[in-house]
Amino acid sequence: MDSQHLNPSSLKSRFTARFLRALIKINAQKPISSSSPREIFQRYRRIKVAADKSMAYSVRSRRTWSRATLWKLRSRSRRRLASSGRRSSIKTRTTTTTTTTTTSTNHRAAIVEKTSHEKENKEDHVGLAVQAEELRELVPGGESMDLCNLLDETAHYIKCLTTQVQVMKKIANLYSLE
Amino acid sequence: MQPCSREMQAMNSLLNPTQQIPLQDLQINGNSHHHQQIHVPSSSQFQYPTPTSTTHHDDSFLEQILSSTTSFPWSDETGPPNPEDNNNAGFNYDEMVLASKLRQHQINGGAAGNPFSAMKMMLMMQQQQQQQQMMLAGRPTVASSAAGGGITTNHQGGEGSMQALYNVFGDGSLHGTMQAKSFVGANSATEMTQSQGSRPTAGEAVTAPEKPKQRVRARRGQATDPHSIAERLRRVRIAERMKALQELVPNANKTDKASMLDEIIDYVKFLQLQVKVLSMSRLGGAAAVAPLVSEGGGDCIQTSANGGSHPRNSNGDQTPSANDRLTMTEHQVAKLMEEDMGSAMQYLQGKGLCLMPISLATAISTATSRSRNPMINHENPTNGSHLLIQSSGGDGPSSPSMSVLTVQSATMGNGGLEGGAASVSKP
Repeated sequence: MDSQHLNPSSLKSRFTARFLRALIKINAQKPISSSSPREIFQRYRRIKVAADKSMAYSVRSRRTWSRATLWKLRSRSRRRLASSGRRSSIKTRTTTTTTTTTTSTNHRAAIVEKTSHEKENKEDHVGLAVQAEELRELVPGGESMDLCNLLDETAHYIKCLTTQVQVMKKIANLYSLE
Repeated sequence: MQPCSREMQAMNSLLNPTQQIPLQDLQINGNSHHHQQIHVPSSSQFQYPTPTSTTHHDDSFLEQILSSTTSFPWSDETGPPNPEDNNNAGFNYDEMVLASKLRQHQINGGAAGNPFSAMKMMLMMQQQQQQQQMMLAGRPTVASSAAGGGITTNHQGGEGSMQALYNVFGDGSLHGTMQAKSFVGANSATEMTQSQGSRPTAGEAVTAPEKPKQRVRARRGQATDPHSIAERLRRVRIAERMKALQELVPNANKTDKASMLDEIIDYVKFLQLQVKVLSMSRLGGAAAVAPLVSEGGGDCIQTSANGGSHPRNSNGDQTPSANDRLTMTEHQVAKLMEEDMGSAMQYLQGKGLCLMPISLATAISTATSRSRNPMINHENPTNGSHLLIQSSGGDGPSSPSMSVLTVQSATMGNGGLEGGAASVSKP
């Protein structure tokens, strides 16, 4: 099985490059066969995060969902840093980050509330409000978008997810054959 | 009534530019027929040959109108309308105005369309005039009669309508209406803005050709107010995006938007799940199961064995043996589970089995009943919410090499999963 990517700048190749780099880094940190389930779980988390992150980075900020994913990852890493390490300086940072998160969530909530009325008006007209809500939960960063843009984002998100799954499957096969 | 012909719209485009001119200005400048109070924008396609004298005779003007092929704007003619001016000059002026407009329509439009467009123009003007009447507190009866007469007489044809114009306007008592008509050009915009929704449609229909990129041209019989246009545009865009999504998502044969959205939602969930599972499988697979099992019952999705070397024939062949094996395994697993979850999981993995929540398993079973896939056995109810899924390939310890099985992969049947299965079966 070959993993040749004909187009060097395509989404697939970008993602593959990044993801492999991240995998190598993770494998370098710890050997594959770890005994404790907790470690294994951590490793799983790291790999998943690496996959999502590399995909989001490959898309840069061109899409709302990628921006939301990157922002989420960064805020999470910041929080983790804060909780694990230095307290005093981090406290302010955590407060700021929490405030920023809260403000952003409030802002988003405000946007959602403000636009939900219009959305309901529009979507009741079309009758797809429930599914639209569900889709908004699934697609990262989809809370503050009307149905039109949401569908657009969903299409791109599905495309990227399929690419991700394809690449990861191939890598898994490679791994298993060793 | 909505004018739909091009001539009407052209005329409306004429009327629109005069939007900002208030009524008072026109009244103030009532007597000066010469200068142009209303500045016509350059985009107007009508050029007006300025009349030189205020008093005109019918014949000379009619000749001028009929002979001239150039267009002219409303503004000059209607610059000086004066409701008190009841003399023949004013009357003729307005008459000339209307006749010239009619002539223009005849010139611009085809022969066939002339009567129709002319009639439409008449109707529109009369309707505007009627509203103008209300504004001016003029003579509504006269206006209505004029309208009625004008409409009926317009059926005769282009030239005939011209004559009809004269017939209608021939009455001396219609001066007020004429004055009202003269106001039409100047104030049509103002009254159009004030009038009901049918009026602005004309304006919007007119602006459509001028700004084709921004607006969807209103079609006959459809509402053209901005809200419905925006709604329509929005719906069109949503339909486009749904079509694009249909190509991406398998099982996209649903015509209903709601079911299509459900399909999309399920597919996104499925893909996210696959990413999770794949990132798990890369860890050297089997052992990764345990933490997930302990993590939470609901989150417990495992890789399961896929076809192996006999993707499609596995079901029938292995049924009898599988059952026996499974019962034995079940007991073993049940025993192990009481002691330690991790060891139970490892035992399962060693056998090439996995554990998964009943909800997912039922979903898979319904899906796999139509396609090739491992069978599902129900465990004894003591263990609650988990089922055992057997690997039909039976590769055992190399279970991490098995590709992911989830609900939709079973239904998908083609694409990457089969490719994965095929590549897996090689070793």
